[in-house]
Amino acid sequence: MSSIFTAVDRGLNRFYFYCGVIAACFLVILGLLIITSIVSRLLGIFIPGLNSYAGYSMAASAYFALAYTFREGGHIRVVMLRNALTGKARFALELWCLSIASFFACYLAWFLIRMTWFSYKFEEKSEGADATLLWMPQSLMAFGAAVMAITVVHALIKTIATGTPDLAEGAKIE
Amino acid sequence: MAEIGFTLIFLSVLFLFLGSGIWIALSLIGVATVGMELFTSRPVGDAMATTIWSASSSWTLAALPLFIWMGEILFRTKLSENLFKGLQPWMQHLPGGLLHVNIAGSALFAAISGSSAATVATVGKMSIPELRRRKYPENMIIGTLAGAGTLGLLIPPSITLIIYGVTVNESIAKLFIAGVIPGIVLALMFMSYVIVWSLVKGGSSEEADPNTTWGDRLTALLQLLPVICLIGAVMGAIYSGLATATEAAVLGVVGALIMSLAQRSLSWDSFKESLLGATRTSSMIAFILAGSAFLTLAMGFTGIPRALAEWIATMQLSAWQLILILTIFYVILGCFLDGISSIVLTMAVVEPIVRQAGFDMIWFGVFLMIVVEIAQITPPIGFNLFVLQGMTGRDMDMIARAAAPMFLIMLLAVVVLSTFPGLATWLPANM
Repeated sequence: MSSIFTAVDRGLNRFYFYCGVIAACFLVILGLLIITSIVSRLLGIFIPGLNSYAGYSMAASAYFALAYTFREGGHIRVVMLRNALTGKARFALELWCLSIASFFACYLAWFLIRMTWFSYKFEEKSEGADATLLWMPQSLMAFGAAVMAITVVHALIKTIATGTPDLAEGAKIE
Repeated sequence: MAEIGFTLIFLSVLFLFLGSGIWIALSLIGVATVGMELFTSRPVGDAMATTIWSASSSWTLAALPLFIWMGEILFRTKLSENLFKGLQPWMQHLPGGLLHVNIAGSALFAAISGSSAATVATVGKMSIPELRRRKYPENMIIGTLAGAGTLGLLIPPSITLIIYGVTVNESIAKLFIAGVIPGIVLALMFMSYVIVWSLVKGGSSEEADPNTTWGDRLTALLQLLPVICLIGAVMGAIYSGLATATEAAVLGVVGALIMSLAQRSLSWDSFKESLLGATRTSSMIAFILAGSAFLTLAMGFTGIPRALAEWIATMQLSAWQLILILTIFYVILGCFLDGISSIVLTMAVVEPIVRQAGFDMIWFGVFLMIVVEIAQITPPIGFNLFVLQGMTGRDMDMIARAAAPMFLIMLLAVVVLSTFPGLATWLPANM
């Protein structure tokens, strides 16, 4: 049983990392899109929708990296209280934080997926020159938010199962 | 009466979530959800999704990850070594000697990294050992670093200024240009303090380096020149209107890549690290901004910002009184939150107040940067002080004491900026 548990744990962590790598690719795409817009402007060619595509890449990059950033301790939080506590009190506080965080991460993921579904159903289009079908970029964002929800719940379950806070120290404020 | 009860619940949830250590972005989303559930009957989740989608896919935000990436690439070049070597021959004959390297180095580094904690850590890592070896007093080493490290938020391209610009819908290019003169003025104020300190103290116990020739100075300058040119080109492109902030950012990334290739400090590994580092930081910030956009929406429904703005309007405060109150407010807030969080958290409430009072939002952005920076070095709790504690191994009491004069200088800078608002508004008005 426990070996299945660690295998899933490892597999998920690898999955979060790959999502981070995809996010990094979107960051490069963002840069390339903006270079394209500069070059095309210098050449006097108008390519419609470049700015919107840059915005979509920005969103895709940010959301694909959410889970990976969470694992690496990159999301900031106030840890003053946590550092003042030890033992059981600290463990209880960590459980509280992870539970609330799990709830709202799932809440966000659910409604982003729902929004994407409605965009798909009603074939909503971007108002910009690109007239992209909105569900396409939105689904990237919803996917990232879903992975984020999985990783927070993952951390919660692991903390309960092992009895020690799962997350590394990571980024913190004070 | 129910309104007041709801407001109290709303504020308690805010403090509970943030204070207990729930990740800032998720706290903001949670608080906003609770707020909207209390104050409206609109479908909360759907409003959240559309708000977060439009906040996260906005083109103006694109400058942010690119500037972060540029900083990450430059971090991994030989920049920090060159910084000390290049500035030293120019600074050591001023009264106060190499302490000025701390300040000028921080100002220069701030311009590329955009983060004050990173500036303190990077400049300190090379300058603390050098200054100790030459027997400079410890409190001045720490003090100048703590103070000058805060220039990171003011000197463009400042990540925090981008965040402010996105939050209040002001031109990022104008904000960048507005930060230039106040940043230089603040750096000069720090340097004047060191000069006065050195003259008052008289006779130097520090060991001077052997005299440098103009040849040395020029070689040293040549090492720094690429970085200075890169920053100059990025800012020039923005100021002249040739490029938007986002376009200038991508030029910065390309320039930084070429520079580190030329220095042979760019490997596949360092490229990967810089890219993943930038991805993580911008993901964290974008998530906070998304949460803050939703909180702003929810705040609108609670009516708190409007009520507060009207209440403050009825008090007939003078501009000075308002500035004083806001300064105290942000310094206290900065004891618990970092600069970015305290800005995104409060803007929904503070923006209407400030607009109603008739402040220029560009000027206010620069003011806010200085005030948020003051909070980073306010004893006993300040982020930069903790970084310095980790680096020097001294106790907090000593570090807080060393930073105290810098804290006062920055308060003076707020007074100067409020007396002469043109320092911030003149350049952007003439773009």
